[in-house]
Amino acid sequence: MSRQFRLTRLSASLALLAPPLVLFLLFFVAPLLSLFWASLHAASDSELYGPTLTTAHYATILTDPFYHTIILRTLSTGAVILLLCLVLGYATAYVLAPLPPRRRLLLLALLVLPLMVSNVVRAYGWIAILGRQGLVNSLLRDTGVIERPLVLLNSFEAVSFGLMTILLPYMVISVANTLTAIDAQYKEAAQSLRASPVRTFIHVTWPLSSPGVASGMLLVFLLTLSAYVTITLLGGPRMKLLVSLVFDQVGAFRWPLAAALAFVLLAVALAAGGLILAILRPQRVQGKG
Amino acid sequence: MHAVLLLLAGLTYLLVLGPIVIVLITAFSGSEFFAFPPKELSLRWFVTFFATDSMRTAFLRSIQIAVVSAAAATILGTMASLFVARRKGLAIALLQALFLAPLIFPAIVLGLSLLLFYKLIGGMPDFLGLAIAHTILGIPFVIRSVSASLLTVDPVLEEASQSLRAGPWRTFALVLMPLIWPGILSGAMFAFIVSFGELNTALFLTGPGVTTLPIEIFSYLQFQGGQLVIAAASAVQVGMIALIVLLVERLVGLTRVIRSR
Repeated sequence: MSRQFRLTRLSASLALLAPPLVLFLLFFVAPLLSLFWASLHAASDSELYGPTLTTAHYATILTDPFYHTIILRTLSTGAVILLLCLVLGYATAYVLAPLPPRRRLLLLALLVLPLMVSNVVRAYGWIAILGRQGLVNSLLRDTGVIERPLVLLNSFEAVSFGLMTILLPYMVISVANTLTAIDAQYKEAAQSLRASPVRTFIHVTWPLSSPGVASGMLLVFLLTLSAYVTITLLGGPRMKLLVSLVFDQVGAFRWPLAAALAFVLLAVALAAGGLILAILRPQRVQGKG
Repeated sequence: MHAVLLLLAGLTYLLVLGPIVIVLITAFSGSEFFAFPPKELSLRWFVTFFATDSMRTAFLRSIQIAVVSAAAATILGTMASLFVARRKGLAIALLQALFLAPLIFPAIVLGLSLLLFYKLIGGMPDFLGLAIAHTILGIPFVIRSVSASLLTVDPVLEEASQSLRAGPWRTFALVLMPLIWPGILSGAMFAFIVSFGELNTALFLTGPGVTTLPIEIFSYLQFQGGQLVIAAASAVQVGMIALIVLLVERLVGLTRVIRSR
């Protein structure tokens, strides 16, 4: 009786699992596998990809200096964004964490709501500020500082800065969550042992907040890799990152090369994620609550 | 030291909120070209927005896709949470990783792989193809907020219900559902919002037949420059989201709206 009851329960639960699992296998896992399969084939003029198996696309990407430049530029954009997000985000979270819950929540809400707005709108905001007829240029012209508009967009700096402001809330939220959860007793203990505020920060607060820093950084870097629209709008046609190349190759119907670039992008994501975890070592404080 | 921290925090708020505020104010400008602050206020650019066929269509299409994909994500995500949330073990951890992967997986690669996949299986209607992509992107948000709700439910309640010979369906509808609906609702809200503003898969999966509002704004900015109708279109995008957040906040409270992000 009880055995049969358990069986009904199990089959009922499997019926719960099946639909979402089938959706993910069919439209997430299978497409990725077929993209990888495509990346291993020669290009074709009439089909999506030709019949011969080859690793030539990966070899091209790994040996051609053009791709090296782009990958390096992608990494340095990511690094600049991470650094700025870390400084601004950590400082903001540090200010928010000790506030009374209600106020902290409201101030966090002000940063969460922009994340819900489409990135294209937020990038347009920077165009309105930095563009040729934008806010900065018209202010400078009206006050007589400049005669001709400055070119503030279409550069590495514009992309890094604009994208940084778009992703910054993720960093604040993620760090603020861990900082809020740190037991105040740890800090008091450090202080009662006569540790200076700086020492307390280095040996107590920073290590304890490393899981939040790590997850914030991972999220920011991964979203940087995908941010085609922001990169195109703020960087202009000549500021290309890895993701722009994926698009260009699809536009030129070179499916296998586009697919290979997409997997190089994934490899960069994995490598950077591994590096972030290796440097911050969040695992040393996780799971020991 | 504290002054520096406050300054940096202030800068954060300025950089995050500034651009959005400027766009919202500009949308109500009465002049032909960008000027800030606007010299006169009017609704002319909203009129232009709704009078422009491509924009109005994209707006309506965005709503349709967001509703369909949020509904699907809510149902499928709730099912997945019911299975995953209170079990343990390696297989469960793997399942959970798979279902939550779209949160951090580069969406551009998902978009590209779906485009290729649809071509390989002989085509897929644009609307359905994009709705499927957005369902996959929405499911992790639903799972996170429903799982958080489920973990607060005492399993004894379900056992009690089953000992009274209520089947799984009755137990869900009469015991679980009343306890976890705030989680389901806020999950649905996130799924809607994610779909409504989504760019990376939509870039690949929209076509001449089906365009979403964010993609329409993007192509307008790329090919016709930043005319003020874009400010109005942006304000419509923001307004729609504000409306939904306010509604859900009324129903389930701010904490939940913020926390499940």
